[in-house]
Amino acid sequence: MTERSLALPLTKDALRSLAEAQGLALTDPELDGLLPLVQAGRALMAELAAAPLGEAEPTVLFHMR
Amino acid sequence: MADLWWASMGELARLVATKAVSPVEVVRAHLDRIAALDGRLKAYITVMGDSALGAARAAESAVMAREALGPLHGVPVGLKDLYCTRGVKTTSGSRILGNWVPTEDATVVTRLIAAGAIVLGKLNMHEFAYGPEGLNAHYGDAWNPWDRATHRICGGSSSGSGAAVAAGICPGALGSDTGGSIRIPSSLCGLTGIKPTYGRVSRAGVLPLAWSLDHVGPMCRSAADCALMLGAMAGPDPRDPSASAVPVPHYVAALTGQVRGLRVGLLPSFVESAGAPQRQALGQAVKALEGLGASVRDVTLDQMKYAAGAAAAVISAESYAYHEGWLKTRAADYGPDTRQRLLVGAFVSGTDYLRGQRVRGLIRDEMDRALAEVDVLIAPTVPIAATPVGAREVTIDGRPQPVRPSLVRYTRPFNVSGHPAASVPCGFTAEGLPIGMQVIGRAFDEATVLRVADAYQRVTDWHTRRPPLDR
Repeated sequence: MTERSLALPLTKDALRSLAEAQGLALTDPELDGLLPLVQAGRALMAELAAAPLGEAEPTVLFHMR
Repeated sequence: MADLWWASMGELARLVATKAVSPVEVVRAHLDRIAALDGRLKAYITVMGDSALGAARAAESAVMAREALGPLHGVPVGLKDLYCTRGVKTTSGSRILGNWVPTEDATVVTRLIAAGAIVLGKLNMHEFAYGPEGLNAHYGDAWNPWDRATHRICGGSSSGSGAAVAAGICPGALGSDTGGSIRIPSSLCGLTGIKPTYGRVSRAGVLPLAWSLDHVGPMCRSAADCALMLGAMAGPDPRDPSASAVPVPHYVAALTGQVRGLRVGLLPSFVESAGAPQRQALGQAVKALEGLGASVRDVTLDQMKYAAGAAAAVISAESYAYHEGWLKTRAADYGPDTRQRLLVGAFVSGTDYLRGQRVRGLIRDEMDRALAEVDVLIAPTVPIAATPVGAREVTIDGRPQPVRPSLVRYTRPFNVSGHPAASVPCGFTAEGLPIGMQVIGRAFDEATVLRVADAYQRVTDWHTRRPPLDR
């Protein structure tokens, strides 16, 4: 079971709250269109929890010049 | 000279250098053809007719004065409209930047001009490069030249580059590739295009979609022309900290035509899920490579199953980070589809993003291990052919599939891994629509990718076929 599957399903109201917390005022039709896209993205990202990451560091790192 | 617009970039450079044609003649021929065809094709957002003719006259004077000439002297190029051009508006296919005029050129533009290239204009694209169909609500949807009757997508996001080069209204163009945006339109428009290794070509002055996935590369009508263009563009750049100092080989000299003994890995999972015409075309390409003396075997990449998730996390978060300000102040100026896609990134957590970046390391390492055993990998570029504009679903072997994820399925993994990957024409569907083969190489080994593509093109003629525009 992945971390994401333990989380509550994302609803339109939850999405509205998350958007408002970020300063995004989205209309009902916008939220309706956005919700399946966000859900699809979250489902894809949830699969990453099964990746054998071990001690792997992110591939984007700060570099001094 | 007839049909100058179908001459290769290498041929044009030779004709100009030997005074067989004037650069003015070359540029005029292309401008005339743009005037004749682009009303329908919508490949260009801005045609730079006056400056192109001015540059052509200067190029002609240089030839007559016997000055040293660059490898692209007098050869026209087109630029996807996300490459900054000093004094010329650069829209990124958007209304947001509809009147923005940069004060300096992108590094690659400077380098192409230094090599003698003449910029014909700025090319249409999916708004802010965020879409594999290559559609544009603001500047019109580019028309795939391979179907005169049905308005089909060119593939994107570099759709104008695909339409323009395929239609002979520029001999080569710059695309950019974050999830397949060079290779998808190359496949759907019958072109050869290469996404080099991440870091091989500077991104300075290129408007971003996602900084860590964006790649800059050429789209041409042959691997030989891609080699010519890439050689003029590649190399370190102090303006781009991600640009690599790995030495740039002479790509044209690497085109020996020889692949005898080369070890080719076929990605069966990519082939099996492709449409029947794509599977069949790739099968024929395998035979052609074997006929040239290469050995082909199956290669399995277990970590590739994470590529879509990693790409989703990274592209969503990075693109939202770039657009957040405009999304809050000028939301109505985006096309509805682009705005919606960009907003998805507002709901990606920092943990999701970093997990995606960590997974990229796994995928890159697995690719490196696979490419220690073979010299290149091959796969279909896209599992489908160009769909009609507006189609959201396509059928593959009787199974309905959504168009958008189908377009990026085979290309996106190599943006995630950063390895170089080219698309090469390898056949046509029964409807006459082009099919592409992807050739993927080791990091910074674009030379082998181009050598394989060129050797294949020496024994096939798919890349020499032209769309039915002149009939």
